[in-house]
Amino acid sequence: MSVSTHGGIGRGLDGLAQISSKILGAIESVIEGKPDVVRLALTVLLAEGHLLIEDVPGVGKTMLAKALAKSIDCSVRRVQFTPDLLPSDITGVSAYNQELREFEFKPGPVFANIVVGDEINRASPKTQSALLECMEERQVTVDGRTYPLDAPFMVIATQNPVEMEGTYPLPEAQRDRFTARIAMGYPEPAAELEMLDVHGGPSPLDRLQPVARDGDVRAMIEVVREVHVAPGLRGYAIALVTATRNHPELRLGASPRATLQLVRAARAYAALDDRDYVLPDDLQRLAVPVLAHRLLPTAEAQVQRRSAEQIVAELVERVAVPDHRR
Amino acid sequence: MRIRLTIVACVATLLASIALYPLFKTAGWFGSGLGAVLTVGGAGLLTRRFRLPAVACLLISVVALVFYLNVLFAAGDAFLGVVPTPRSLSSLAELARDGWQDSFRYAPPVPVLPGVELLSTGGIGLVAILVDLLAVRLRRAAPAGLPLLAMYALPARFREESAGWLVFLPGAAGYLALLVADSRDRLSGWGRPVFSRHWSDDVRLRDRPDSSPLAVTGRRIGLTAVVLAVVVPLAVPDVDPHWLPDADGNGPGGLTTVTTPDPLVSLKRQLVRADDAVVLTYRTSDDATPDYLRMYSLDRFDGDGWTYSTIHGDKNARVDGKTLPAAPGLNRDSSLLRPVTTSVRIDAHVRGMSVLPAPYPPTKVSIKGDWRVDAPTLMIFSPHETAGGRAYTVSSVRPSPTYQQLEAAVPVPDDVASRYLAVPAPMSVGRDVIALAHRLTATASTPYDRAVKLQEWFTKPGNFKYSLDAPSPRNAGALRDFLFGSRTGYCEQFAASMALLARIVGIPARVAMGYTSGERQADGSWIVRTKDTHAWPELYFAGVGWLRFEPTPAGGTGQGSATVPEYTSPLLLPGAPTSGSTSRLPSTGQATGGRSTTGHGSVPRRRADPLDPAGAAGPLAAPRHGGPPIGRLLALLALLLLLVSAPAALHRLARVRRWARAATEADLAHAAWEELRIAAVDHGLPWRTGDSPRAAGRRLTEALSLDEPSAEALNRLVRAEELARYAPAPGPGAGLREDAFTVRAAFAAAAGRRGRWRARVLPPSSAAFPRGVAGRALDAFDRIDSLVLRRRRHSAG
Repeated sequence: MSVSTHGGIGRGLDGLAQISSKILGAIESVIEGKPDVVRLALTVLLAEGHLLIEDVPGVGKTMLAKALAKSIDCSVRRVQFTPDLLPSDITGVSAYNQELREFEFKPGPVFANIVVGDEINRASPKTQSALLECMEERQVTVDGRTYPLDAPFMVIATQNPVEMEGTYPLPEAQRDRFTARIAMGYPEPAAELEMLDVHGGPSPLDRLQPVARDGDVRAMIEVVREVHVAPGLRGYAIALVTATRNHPELRLGASPRATLQLVRAARAYAALDDRDYVLPDDLQRLAVPVLAHRLLPTAEAQVQRRSAEQIVAELVERVAVPDHRR
Repeated sequence: MRIRLTIVACVATLLASIALYPLFKTAGWFGSGLGAVLTVGGAGLLTRRFRLPAVACLLISVVALVFYLNVLFAAGDAFLGVVPTPRSLSSLAELARDGWQDSFRYAPPVPVLPGVELLSTGGIGLVAILVDLLAVRLRRAAPAGLPLLAMYALPARFREESAGWLVFLPGAAGYLALLVADSRDRLSGWGRPVFSRHWSDDVRLRDRPDSSPLAVTGRRIGLTAVVLAVVVPLAVPDVDPHWLPDADGNGPGGLTTVTTPDPLVSLKRQLVRADDAVVLTYRTSDDATPDYLRMYSLDRFDGDGWTYSTIHGDKNARVDGKTLPAAPGLNRDSSLLRPVTTSVRIDAHVRGMSVLPAPYPPTKVSIKGDWRVDAPTLMIFSPHETAGGRAYTVSSVRPSPTYQQLEAAVPVPDDVASRYLAVPAPMSVGRDVIALAHRLTATASTPYDRAVKLQEWFTKPGNFKYSLDAPSPRNAGALRDFLFGSRTGYCEQFAASMALLARIVGIPARVAMGYTSGERQADGSWIVRTKDTHAWPELYFAGVGWLRFEPTPAGGTGQGSATVPEYTSPLLLPGAPTSGSTSRLPSTGQATGGRSTTGHGSVPRRRADPLDPAGAAGPLAAPRHGGPPIGRLLALLALLLLLVSAPAALHRLARVRRWARAATEADLAHAAWEELRIAAVDHGLPWRTGDSPRAAGRRLTEALSLDEPSAEALNRLVRAEELARYAPAPGPGAGLREDAFTVRAAFAAAAGRRGRWRARVLPPSSAAFPRGVAGRALDAFDRIDSLVLRRRRHSAG
C-alpha cells in the first residue's frame, strides 16, 4: 500500500486517494462532525506546512492534533507549553557525557515527524520563537551545530483565543510560519450527542490504529508537488494576496511566503479532491484559513469589529477569477 | 474673492461664445468678446474683494462693460478717450442701431461691421455678467448654464447647419468645468475628513480635503452625458416633418438646411432705396418680355404673414451641371414649353444674397461654388456662399398653357394640397375675408376662372392704390385694412392678399419674391435694380404647375416694371372660346353656388368632364410627387423591423461564428462556456464575471430547478471549461455543443414567456459590445485622470 509517483501522476493520485481516505476516516472516527476541519488539517500536512488550531478550550483541538498524529505510523511528540517552558525544553540540549568525555546532544521533543504543541500561546515569547527555526528551516541549531529534522515534519499547535487570560499572543513572524489557522467550532448537537455515546466507553483515541506510514506521507507529498497550477491561477493567487496589502482596513497584508503556502495548500487540496490541477475554487476555499491569521486589521476596523476573516472573505468575492483569455 | 471660480466662469463664457462663429464671416469679433469677458471678470473680482452686495456687483459689472465698449467703439467721443460722455454714448447707441439693421440686412454669416461687432461684444459681455453673477457671486452654477445656452440658441435660430457637435463640445466642457470648480469649492468647506490611511496620504499632501476621487466620478458622469448628448441625436433620425410620410422627395439623414431671416423684411427697404442700385444684369434667349426672376417661394401663411418652410438640400443636391428635379405639377412632355436660357451677372456690391434669382421653373443652373436646390420649391441656395459678383446661367422653361389645360379639372395632388392650401382658423383670418373671397369668385366654376376673377378684382382701376408709403403688413390686421380699409399698398400687400384669397377658394397658392424682368438696355441685355424688387402670387394648376399672377398695378402708378402674364387673360389664350366671359364656359356641371357654402380650403376634386374638349384625363394629368404615403409607411415599418431584429440577428451570427472558429478541444470548451454565459445573461439568470466555472454552475443550479439531463449537461460544461482553463490538458470536446443547447433550452423553459421573448428579440448580451466600448472609453478617461492625480501628488510632494 505504498504510493508511487512512477508512471505519471494519475497512478500517484489513485494511491493518494486511497490512503488519504483512510486517514480521514481514522481521524473522523475520533472527531465527529468536522469533515472540513479534518480535511484542512490533512491538506496542511500534505502541503508540508504547519497547522495552528485556535479555539476556546474543550472543543477538541488537541484531540484533532493527536488523532492526525496517531493515524500515521510515525514519531509523534507532544509539548505542553507553559509559561516556564524554556527554549531548550523544545529543541534539546547538549549535555556533558562524563563517560565519553564530550558534549552529547540530547534531542528535544521537536525531533519527531509530528509535533503537537499544546496551548502554544501560554509559553513566553522566547520559547515560542525557539520553534521558529525548526518550523521554517526544518533543522535545529544548538551550540553551533545543526541537526536536520526528519521528513515529514509538521507542527500542530493549538492555542486559546488571545483574549483569554495568561496568554502571550504569537508574534506576526511566528504566525506567518503557520500555513493555516483553523477554528474547530462547537460541534453540531447531533454530533455532540454521538460524541457522548462514543466517549462514554474507552477513549476512541486509544483504539485508533495507524493507517499510513511516514513513507506513504512522503510519497503523497511528492504527488502533491506534481499538481498542475495554471499560469492564470498563479496570477490569481498573487492578486488575492496583493489585495490584502492594498486594503484600507488592513494594517499589515500577507507576505510572499503566504502566496507560496497558499498555492502549495491549494495543490494539496486539489490532490485530496482527486484532481491533478488546481481550481480557483481551491484557492478561494483556502484563502481564509491560509491568509487571515497573518493580517493585522487597522484600529478603525477593529473598532468596527471587522475581523480579518471577514475582510479576506470579501476580497475573495471581489477579485475576479481568471478566464481563458487572461 | 473666488479667483479660481471667476477664471473658470470666464473660460466657460468664452468657450460657449465659440458657438457664435457661424454667424460671422471673419473671426474679428472673438478678440473684442474676449476683452469684454476679461473686463467683466475683473469687475466681478473687484466687487467681491470689497464684499459688495449682489446688486452692486451687477451694476458695477454693467458699468465696466459700458466703459469697455466705449473705449473700443467710441473712444473718439469719450472724455480722455475713456470716460463715456453723452456724445460717446449716443454714438454707441447709433452704432448699435446700425448693427441691428445690418443683422437683418445680411443673412449669416454676417460681415463683422463695427455695429455688428458692438452687438456681439455687448452680448458676450452680458452673458459673462450673468454667468459671473450666478455662478460666482450667488453660487448657483447650474442656472449659469442658461445664459450660456442662449449663445447656442442664436446660431441655431438662423443657421441650422452650422451648430454642429464640434461647436457643442467646448461649450459643454466649459459648463462642466464651471460645475466642477463650484463643487470643489463647496467641498473644501467641509473640512478635513478622517478616513482610512489611503486617504490620509493624500490629505497630508495639501491642506484641503482631496476631492479628486469625487471629481473622477463627476467627470465620468459628465463625459457620459456629453457623449450621449452628441451621439444620440446622430443616431436618432431627423424628426423633421418633411422626413415623415407625405414629404416631398427628401430622404432621411444628411440633409442640409438653410434658414435666413424673413426675406420680406428687406423688400420695402429695397424698394425705397434712394440710390436705386443695380442688382444684376442678364441676357436671355427669350424673345418676349422675360419672366420674373424668382428667389424665394413663401409657402406658409401663419395668419399674420407669409414665410417659408425650412429648405433642404444636401451635397447631392448641388446644382452645377445637373438637371434639376422636375417642377411640381408641370408636364414636361408638353410641346407648349418654351426653353429659355438666361445668363445672369450679379452686381459685385450685392451682399448677403444666398438665394439665386432665376426664372421659374429652372431646369439647369451652371454656377461655380456650392449651390444647391430645394427640390419642392426649386429655390437655388447656398448654405455658406453669397452671390455677389457671380455670373451664372439658368436654363428654364416658360410654359404657355392653353385654355383647355388651365380649365382642365385635374385633381390637385395631396402633397401640394396639404402644403399650399393651409389657411389658419377663420378666427385669425377673419370671416369677412373668407366671405370676400367667395363673393368675388361666386360666378367662376373652375380654379382658373376663380384665379382670374381675383386678379381682375385687384387690378380693376380705382379699386386699389399703389403706394410705397403704406406700412409693411406685419399682421392679419394690416392685411384686412388693406382689403377693406385703406386699399393702399405695394406689391407685398397685393401678393399676400391674393395668395390668401386664392387659398380660401381652393387654389394652391404661395407668395414668390424676387425681381421683375427689369429694364431692357440698348444692347439687348436687361438690367435689374433695387426698385425692381417684387413680390407676387404663384398659383398652382395641375398639369401646368406654378403660374405667376400679377395683382399689383403696373406702370407709372404702380410697380413700374411689373407685367401681367398673357395666360391670366382667358381671351388671349390659345383654344379659348370666342365669346362670352369665363363664367359662361362649359363648366363641369357642378353647382357653382354650392362651393361658397362648403367653406374655404376645400380641394377641388372633380372628375374630368367627358364633354370637356381638352380631355384632361389624358397626357395632362398631373404627375404625382413623392411616393404614395402607404409605401413610405411600409418602408418606415421595414426599417423599424430591421432595427428591432438587428440585435437578435447579430447575436445569432456571433453564435455561429463562435462554433465555427473553435478548432481545438479547449476552444470547443470555451465556446460552449461562452454559449452558456450568453444563455444565462439573456434569460436574466445570475451570472458574475468574477465567478469560477464551478461557482457559476452552482449559482445557476441554485437559481433553477433543472431536470436530470440538463443538470448533467451543465455539469459537463462546467467540467470541460475547468479542464480547458486550468488542467494541463483539456477534456474531450465532443458533445459540448449539444450540452450547451440542452442547457439553453432548459434556461428558456425556466425563464417564462416574457423572458424567452426578450432573449429572442432583444438579448441583453448583445448590449455587451456598446457597453464594452463605453467602458474602454471611461477607462481611458480614468487613466488620464490618474495621470493628472499622480502629477499633482508629485508636485505637492
